[in-house]
Amino acid sequence: MALSIPLSLLVLWEVFSQTSILSPRYFPPPTLVAATLTRLLAGGDLWGETLVTLNRLAIAFVLAAAPGVPAGLAMGLFRPVRYAIEPYLALLYPLPKIALLPLLLIVLGVGEKAFILTGAISAFFQIVISTLGGVQTMDPRLLEVGRNYGARGIALFRKVILPATLPAILTGLRLGLGLALIAVIAVEFVTAKSGLGHLVFRYWQMLLTAEMFAAFVLVGLIGLAFTRGLRALQRRTLAWKEEIGWQ
Amino acid sequence: MSWIAVASPLLLLVGWEIASATGLLRAVFFPRPTTVAEHFLRLVVDGSLPHHGGVTVMRVAWTVLLATPPAVAVGLAMGISRRTREGLDPLFAVIYPIPSVLFLPLISFLLRSAEAALVVTGAITPFFLVAYTTMTGVQQLDRTVLEAATHYGARGWRLFLKVLLPGTLPFIFTGLRLGLGYALIVLIAVEMVSARDGLGALLWLSWGILKVEEMYAALVAIALLGAFLTWGLGLLRARLLPWVEDVAGTAR
Amino acid sequence: MPPLRSPKVLIREVSVVFKGRGSGLLALDRVSLEIEAGEFLCLVGPSGCGKSTLLRVCAGLIPQTSGEVTIQADRPGAPLTAMVFQEHALLPWRTVLDNVVFGPENRGVPEADRYARGREMLALVGLTPFAGAYPHQLSGGMKQRVGIARALANDPEVLLMDEPLAALDAQTRTIMQEELLRIWAELGKTVIYVTHSIDEALLLGDRIALLTARPGRLKQVFPVALGRPRGLEVRASPEFGALVDKIWAELREEVLRTMREEEGTRR
Ligand SMILES: Nc1ncnc2c1ncn2[C@@H]1O[C@H](COP(=O)(O)OP(=O)(O)OP(=O)(O)O)[C@@H](O)[C@H]1O
Ligand SMILES: [Mg+2]
Repeated sequence: MALSIPLSLLVLWEVFSQTSILSPRYFPPPTLVAATLTRLLAGGDLWGETLVTLNRLAIAFVLAAAPGVPAGLAMGLFRPVRYAIEPYLALLYPLPKIALLPLLLIVLGVGEKAFILTGAISAFFQIVISTLGGVQTMDPRLLEVGRNYGARGIALFRKVILPATLPAILTGLRLGLGLALIAVIAVEFVTAKSGLGHLVFRYWQMLLTAEMFAAFVLVGLIGLAFTRGLRALQRRTLAWKEEIGWQ
Repeated sequence: MSWIAVASPLLLLVGWEIASATGLLRAVFFPRPTTVAEHFLRLVVDGSLPHHGGVTVMRVAWTVLLATPPAVAVGLAMGISRRTREGLDPLFAVIYPIPSVLFLPLISFLLRSAEAALVVTGAITPFFLVAYTTMTGVQQLDRTVLEAATHYGARGWRLFLKVLLPGTLPFIFTGLRLGLGYALIVLIAVEMVSARDGLGALLWLSWGILKVEEMYAALVAIALLGAFLTWGLGLLRARLLPWVEDVAGTAR
Repeated sequence: MPPLRSPKVLIREVSVVFKGRGSGLLALDRVSLEIEAGEFLCLVGPSGCGKSTLLRVCAGLIPQTSGEVTIQADRPGAPLTAMVFQEHALLPWRTVLDNVVFGPENRGVPEADRYARGREMLALVGLTPFAGAYPHQLSGGMKQRVGIARALANDPEVLLMDEPLAALDAQTRTIMQEELLRIWAELGKTVIYVTHSIDEALLLGDRIALLTARPGRLKQVFPVALGRPRGLEVRASPEFGALVDKIWAELREEVLRTMREEEGTRR
């Protein structure tokens, strides 16, 4: 029974909360949370906030991936490019990107641009790093195969380098999306006045705990759908690989 | 060729300096690098950067201390026993993708102390990452090595200390390295919303009162902290595990 | 007098220095060899003596530091070389058949033609049922055969084979040696073949070139005066045994020298 542990935890929570061993004010019983979630979804409020978050996430992701993958490839293929960009990468990759939010708020004003860009920058560096790593750890013999069997220039890139790097690129995109989600939710939690992250924050401040948990569960479901979906996509695209680890 | 690696940031800084000095960049938003450096130094001398930096570093240390031992234990259990793995997997799969900032409200209901809530929130993602990489580490251990070890009398604690732990240590380290990055995001974010000290709070407060130069100084401090942690962990790994390279790519 | 003709492959005074710490590493030292059209030349020598390096120079994958390699092109449009790599080096994202047609595809051979040729070569190595499989689904021996089919499908002037059977178990290797003899008899290609096994070199080769321990110099070339067509039974003949002993005596010296040197560098 694969779901026995989560289910028994939920049942325990329900019992503890109903019997007030766990304060129902702070930890409302799961049944109440479920009911609240259905009510909020039926009312339509939650959909609107969900769409706001997803919209920010989508734009941030595209803004990160579109330059990120080419940048990573260029760094891997052309040494001067790598040398020129590497110092920034070394300093900015470990920087928690949420710290750039105030700067972006100052430069771009308080608004969508700054929120989305924080998410985009979070994903961008991960995508660059993963792509670059993919090029660098590529089996050099495959390059020799390409050259010995007449693949040159664009053909070598398209037929050997790109497919060899694809697993790393997809991993980078998946991690990047996760980081963008973290950043967008954090920005909403910290400062934006809309989105699921903000909703959790607002319900927290108003001590509407059932609503807070409902929004929380929704974020969890979205996260789960994303990880599952992307992993399935990765598995399908990379049918030629023996296995993909637990991730 | 690596002169480019020196020239490129140098050029950027000089260009920035000139651009803000001449008004090409609005100095209100983009103060000159030298001005930022000045403020950085001033904040170091008056003790506020060391104070806030120290607070954040302590919090990072606590998240690591809180997350690692239980994560390693759970990861080993999941790696060794299939039942444990299959039992915990669905739970992990649901909780792990939730951005952990959102756990702050929940955890602050559970814990009285705001400080404790902050640190525990930061420890969530590292916990999952270390648990997962440890599990992967156990799974990749050569079955025959385990068999040989038991055959030569390593059981229980011995097996753990002499085979399991050293064999999975590179993976634990990778989990820590990745986890530290995520912990830092969460800690800074939470400091921004709810703390009175720490680099995230300093950053957020100086933005709030539009002290742009100080905001930049705080940002530089956070960047340095991030780079320093990565570097330090790399050094530690080279010390403790001279025989392995980082097993990146096995994690997440 | 026979008509004057140039050899198929002319390797003249080829030296290769790998740049690195200090003065660099001299991998090959003025190696000269001539290989006739249709000849099967085996290259043996201790590990690290530069056999793979010599093949890579012939394939144009790395430049020689000095000297020259000339390959006589007889058929316009045909690639000069096709390499069978030491560890198969198949493209993991391509199916077996798509790996085999990789060379013709890059030369712009029309799809129908190249797939026809690819299937033919797959049949030759006995892998027709696996045309649609991915490399990771094959055993080591099968992968190596795909590598050989890939090289044959490109129909090169010269076939370069770098220990193609080294990774195989003894039984599979024996089978593959017979296969190679059959395929070579059928296609009559010029082959440069690297191997660690004197037996294998004698079984397959017309001549055997022995390289010295690093830096690789040409130590001696042994003609193999065993008749053709050759089968596994030649291994039982007294000439075979005598030749093995003779080559081993020379090779042994070089292998011992390598081991002594490695010992020296470790201290
Ligand atoms: N790209 C390279 N850069 C530097 N040194 C190299 C390179 N390739 C090979 N070498 C060195 O050149 C020498 C010859 O290598 P090579 O691979 O040609 O040997 P080999 O005879 O094929 O050995 P083996 O039988 O083990 O395959 C070795 O000492 C090797 O370390
Ligand atoms: Mg070799």
